[in-house]
Amino acid sequence: MNIPNASTVPNPNEYAGDEVSAIVLDPGYSTTRAGFAGEDVPKSVIPTYYGVLDSESGSEYLFGENAIHNPLRNLEIKNPWSTDGIVENWETATRVWEYAITSRLTGAKQTDPIKNGLNDPLNGDPDVEMEGLDDAEKPLTDSPLLMTEPGWSSTKAREKYIEIAMEDWGTPAFYLGKTGVLAAFAAGKASGIVIDIGASMTSVTPVIDGMVLKKGVQKSPLAGNFVSNQIRLIFNQSQPQIPLTPHYVVSSKTPVDAGVPSQAIYKTFEIPPTASFRRNEEERVLTEFKESVVETWAGPGRFSNGTNEELAKATPGRPFEMPDGWNQVFGVERFKAVEGLFDASAALFDAENPRPKDEQTIPRLVQAAMQHVDVDQRPAILAHVIVTGGSSLLYKFNERLNSELQAMFPAPRIRLIAPGNVVERKYGAWIGGSILASLGSFHQLWISKKEYEEHGPSIVEKRCK
Amino acid sequence: MPPFKDEQIIIIAPGSETTVAQLGLPESFTPARLRVRSRMFPAEKEGEWEPYKVRRRIDAVGKKSMAQEEVDEINDMKKTFGESEDDGIIYEEDPISEEGAVWPISEGRIVNWTCFFALMTHVYNTLNPPFHTPILLITQPAWTPREHEKLTQFFFEKFKTPAFSLLDAAIATSWAYGTHTSTVIDVGKGKVDVTAISEFLPHGTGRVIALPGCGGEAMTQRLLTLLRSKGFTREMCEQLKKNPICEILPVGTALPGTADASAQDAITNPAAAASTGATASGPGHRETAAALGIAPRGPGPDTDVGDEANGDDDNEGVLDVASIVAGGKMNEYLARKDKEKQDKAAAKKKGTDAASAQSRPARLPNSKRERATFMYEDHLLLDTLKGMNLSSKGMADAQAALDEGPQRKNQDAEQGDSIVEQRLAIEPNGTIDSAFTSAHTGPIRREIEVGIERFQAGSGGILERIADAIYRTISAIEEVNKRSELWDSLIICGNGSKIRGFKDALMSTLQTKYLISPSSATIFTSELPSNMSTPAGTGTNTPQPQLAPHGTSSSQVNPLLLAATTAQNPYLLPPGGTALPSMHSHNAHSSHGQTPTSIKIAKPPEYFPEWKDVGYDEAAFLGAQVAAKVIFIVDQGLNKGYMTRPDYNDQGPTGIHYYSL
Repeated sequence: MNIPNASTVPNPNEYAGDEVSAIVLDPGYSTTRAGFAGEDVPKSVIPTYYGVLDSESGSEYLFGENAIHNPLRNLEIKNPWSTDGIVENWETATRVWEYAITSRLTGAKQTDPIKNGLNDPLNGDPDVEMEGLDDAEKPLTDSPLLMTEPGWSSTKAREKYIEIAMEDWGTPAFYLGKTGVLAAFAAGKASGIVIDIGASMTSVTPVIDGMVLKKGVQKSPLAGNFVSNQIRLIFNQSQPQIPLTPHYVVSSKTPVDAGVPSQAIYKTFEIPPTASFRRNEEERVLTEFKESVVETWAGPGRFSNGTNEELAKATPGRPFEMPDGWNQVFGVERFKAVEGLFDASAALFDAENPRPKDEQTIPRLVQAAMQHVDVDQRPAILAHVIVTGGSSLLYKFNERLNSELQAMFPAPRIRLIAPGNVVERKYGAWIGGSILASLGSFHQLWISKKEYEEHGPSIVEKRCK
Repeated sequence: MPPFKDEQIIIIAPGSETTVAQLGLPESFTPARLRVRSRMFPAEKEGEWEPYKVRRRIDAVGKKSMAQEEVDEINDMKKTFGESEDDGIIYEEDPISEEGAVWPISEGRIVNWTCFFALMTHVYNTLNPPFHTPILLITQPAWTPREHEKLTQFFFEKFKTPAFSLLDAAIATSWAYGTHTSTVIDVGKGKVDVTAISEFLPHGTGRVIALPGCGGEAMTQRLLTLLRSKGFTREMCEQLKKNPICEILPVGTALPGTADASAQDAITNPAAAASTGATASGPGHRETAAALGIAPRGPGPDTDVGDEANGDDDNEGVLDVASIVAGGKMNEYLARKDKEKQDKAAAKKKGTDAASAQSRPARLPNSKRERATFMYEDHLLLDTLKGMNLSSKGMADAQAALDEGPQRKNQDAEQGDSIVEQRLAIEPNGTIDSAFTSAHTGPIRREIEVGIERFQAGSGGILERIADAIYRTISAIEEVNKRSELWDSLIICGNGSKIRGFKDALMSTLQTKYLISPSSATIFTSELPSNMSTPAGTGTNTPQPQLAPHGTSSSQVNPLLLAATTAQNPYLLPPGGTALPSMHSHNAHSSHGQTPTSIKIAKPPEYFPEWKDVGYDEAAFLGAQVAAKVIFIVDQGLNKGYMTRPDYNDQGPTGIHYYSL
């Protein structure tokens, strides 16, 4: 019945890999991505932020988008990562990652019927329950797992990854890939320099022939969250102060004139939600602000060099409306939020947000990374500057990056590779992992359960370089 | 393999509350013919399931506890039904009772697989298909790929189906509406799914799957919280929710004036009386029994439910609660009821006098009335009666005595009739409750009055949580330029959204909370003609300059011309006639990069007359019919719309992911 033609999908048997149905897990600070190898988008993208609900009976952990936006009292929003790109709380990180896999890929545990209150526990089928418990203990028993890690993770952290996968999840095979390499694979390059601007970290990774040049890896906290904090500073320092109101406190809004205090009807809470909850909700508004207002000065030259600011003033402003109806047109200010990524002296700062160091800016990171690359390899590397990460989607970010790099490395030809497709840009490392794990030739690289049992967690250092 | 024909196709759409299915595609698509409640009962043997409650009794034990005449009666009955007297164990099926039922789907997820498979088998057998029937299964968004594989394996291996396909409920809905880009908000029993679909492809990231505590059940529970103090049970609230007097008013609508205390005192509370009299004397209020309210919806000529329902009353025997309602208590209750009725009639007389004195206009709409009544079908009471070993005549008498339905109808023809009519109109499958055709076999109806609580089913943040989920879903779409299109075609479906006024209330919540109004700072004043008033600042009557999303170039079109040609679509006005601030003007051409600048509901399809009558709450099923026609009949598998048996034999269950449109 299925006559193959040009438009039919090739039979899975014709190309290797898909039968293994490997799972690719790409944990990040803001979101955790998981999906099946061989697919082009991660099926499961969940917030890494989780909620903790404290009550007398102990703390309840809430995972996933649906659970963390409810303004409940005592709901604390936390993140298992530390702000410098290292997993801090392994226990909850494991649970978040497990949630990413089970919620949308493999299926929830079978223990639910008892808790859902619909079904009488008397009628529960003991056989099913037993199966459920087995599943609950080992959620990944039939899928190999490829995980990504940042380029700077320690040996100890790497061993922890394989331990979680093998011991907690029972995966039959495991591999650990570095985000930099995988992002380069996603762009179809084996060599290049990967600039990954994420939520908490910006990293620059030189990749040569599919291997990370470890000493060249650079990281800095000037990334998406830094831009958010810059926006907060702009709001705080403007006269009058701009109120940042998240959606959940507003019950209904009324249109008001630009710059005039809002006339919204606010919700009243007996006990207002926690500060961490509010901050997370404010972050959603800031994301919208970044999407619709913030702009990077495209260059040439820095924004603050005098003439550029004048030029920027001539461009029309962009309006923004807060959830409570307050609205204003943002003119020159909108360029200032991102400028700190390129020019530390232009960054806004206050007591809580110290001024970033010069060597933390993106151009300086690239420069530092290139210092570690052999001189004869530099032209090849600079020909593939791969830009990835959600924060690289800031408007005109790439134009600016390009002009900065051109100014810094005038001699070899610089080529920026940044997929126009938003999904590919956001999930670069995941897509690389998906490609890698579905390659037939990759099979020999998996660390099998047997090997793990034989050599212990240290095998990850030998096999996943 | 010969090509498939229309009449061979099976479509099954499992849901948490109701599973609908159909064999064959009619010429003009109709709502699903088979509706079963998504629950099974554990059978004697562990791991096996029965579609109906089976009661197992050892007769001898029953005899001891019964009075002699009752035993005689039973024996009479047995003779009539040809049962042998010395058979110690009696099994009987009770098609209505839901005691001990297991619901395999909860919040859209399959929580009990053996039970779910048994349910599918029951549906399949009820449809009784011939050989060579392809099956299209509508999947819930919460089902994971691994679960899809499990289902594929089950359907191929259990039913030997020649072809099988899965269709996501949200995509099915967009097929039904024929809109390639839309946001589908599926309000179910225990959950809400929000899916952004562009070009018939769902966006996986940001899709809100199974948002708990926002479905129909949550609204019932909300009513229960509000009304529990007045003696309402969950079942009453469930029926109230389905009644047209229960309504969700758009945001900002004032509830009809608060009741003056004296009136409230004077009103007898039949609900409370009933629950102290007979209802509460049942064996506790079971969760499962509560759902009985809509049980008779299923029986139709083509199901086996219909046949059994009739003999049931006589046959039904010795559930061991007989002693409670039996004896004097029922008579007491009836006597009190009678008195109440007289009091009420008197009160009513006074009331009507007062009303006519006020000479109020003909009839107020429901939303303006402070109190309203509805018919409550008391299945629990019926169950209790059934358990009393009454002879068929006694049963009928008792029912007639307790049933307020017909009498009330005569007394209060105006209101009762209209409610009945409305009720029929909203019955989704058009099957008339057996109660209305034969008074004595159906449930016992009582009239219950409620106050303004009936307008508050959606209060307590349900609407806001759904609205936030919609906002989140659309904001997660990576292509920023697609967002406004998604906001402009919302599809609110699912049986949970059936409650009167729900859709309008949800729309007005979205509009008051999320709509971005044109910024007064960007008003383009230089081209204003002199006869136009100075901009009021709200931007309502002032045209907006057109800026590209990132403000790099301003439009070449004269903004006034633009504004004039894109005059406000009246459809945008918040439904329900609420006077919201007039903030929607011209925002189709706002300069904002933010969305939404307008929010609209997608237009339902018009060319399916049968569907038009019942509404599009189950549009997913209509979409599945369209899809089934396309993938099985038109396409015949050329685009791999379904998996065939040979495919399955080759690739196994994991192959299913390669077969979908």
